[in-house]
Amino acid sequence: MSACEQHRNIDMYEWDFIAVFSDIDLLALGLLNTLKVTSLALLFGIPLGLMLAVSRLSRFKPLSFSASFIIEFFRTTPPLVQLFWFFFALPILIDIRMTPLIASVLTFSIQSSAFFAEIFRGGIQSIDKGQWEGAKAIGMNYWQSMRRIILPQAVKRMIPAFMERSIELLKTTTLVSTVAYTDLMYQANDLAQKTFRPLEVYTVVAVMYFILIFVFSQVSLLIEHRLARSGESTVR
Amino acid sequence: MNTDWLAAAKARCASMQHNWDFATIIQNWPVLMVGLKGTVWIFLVTVVIGLSTGLIVGICRYAKNRWIRWPATALVEIFRNTPVLVQIIWFYYAFPILTGIDVNPFLAAVLGISLNTMAFSAEIYRAGIQSIEPGQWEAGKAIGMTYSQTMRRIILPVALRRILPALTNRGIEVFKMSTLASVVAYVETLSKAKLIADLNYNPIEAYTAVAILFFVVLYPIVQLTYVLERTLRKSDA
Repeated sequence: MSACEQHRNIDMYEWDFIAVFSDIDLLALGLLNTLKVTSLALLFGIPLGLMLAVSRLSRFKPLSFSASFIIEFFRTTPPLVQLFWFFFALPILIDIRMTPLIASVLTFSIQSSAFFAEIFRGGIQSIDKGQWEGAKAIGMNYWQSMRRIILPQAVKRMIPAFMERSIELLKTTTLVSTVAYTDLMYQANDLAQKTFRPLEVYTVVAVMYFILIFVFSQVSLLIEHRLARSGESTVR
Repeated sequence: MNTDWLAAAKARCASMQHNWDFATIIQNWPVLMVGLKGTVWIFLVTVVIGLSTGLIVGICRYAKNRWIRWPATALVEIFRNTPVLVQIIWFYYAFPILTGIDVNPFLAAVLGISLNTMAFSAEIYRAGIQSIEPGQWEAGKAIGMTYSQTMRRIILPVALRRILPALTNRGIEVFKMSTLASVVAYVETLSKAKLIADLNYNPIEAYTAVAILFFVVLYPIVQLTYVLERTLRKSDA
């Protein structure tokens, strides 16, 4: 085929979105599952991250050392390797029936908790020492000062970094398609094979992801500006 | 009912005593190293392309001319706000239909990862350039330097020093991202580990080995960024 002919063929490519939009409910289900994995990972990841952060800040060396190790390990290994480990390896080690959903939620809860822990730690450490001393002076113990004095102030500073990480998490959940969890990416692969329209399917899905993530990032930017105006420094 | 539960518990205990089989991993070490070579190769290509094009796009985002600024902004927003896996798969399955260009797994992964890196690093460069006091620009102008001279000789050297930790962090992200190339069947560490796991029925050892491998490679670099951050903070103060 000559270059000219080839060129004409490309020009003649007929976009056909009908095949995609007639099966849009499949993609909608995928989108719902993507949001489901993300929110479950947040639900478990946030408390776990807080526990890791507090442990890492602990003066008890074995505790802070093991928390540091967990955090660094999950931050430096690729999420796809972690997902494969939880999906293929863990069920052999402990006798449980592993489903794609459990493996996905497990992986992303732990993975994001490692990142959240560092954000929480930065926030807690950014609070002036005088606040701890003040709390101690009026007779509060460690947990009381943490809960009533430190965390309420730290949380405000953590919000921008926290939201950025949550958006990162939302993007990373596309990996769950590789262990056959029916998220948006998986549904896209499925639909592309069924309709023989990969160009349209993947473009529509990319646009869907873009809108979803773009909206979240704009909201997080808005909140960040609000916080900056209220004179709150941010932690990164 | 009771015995059922007991049998299950017993089975669970029995399976907990997993016979570790790291021998096959050591036997297959050369295979894993072939994979690591693929990982390092795609990392080098994507990090070089991504960080250099990112600099150009980052400077364009700072341009006064909106016909330069807007396309750069669009590029950054598109690639920052879509998952990198979607980008790789789009380049593998959709891009060839659109353009007629043959895309192999390597090219698809390189396009996806380096454009993603470009978008993220452009924001880092932009933040670095914007962090320089306007006085520096004025000083450059005062001694008769043009825009590009000021940028090259005064602004960039200082900005690059400030953003070095952020760029190193990006590099670490790219190294981890390279595992995604396995999804379009590019040969790298994870795909080799999967092969070893499937052939020897030892997924625990194979995937643990890969996790440790990545940790061993990246952990010293992470520590380096901490040192870098501390020294830069000290020298800035």
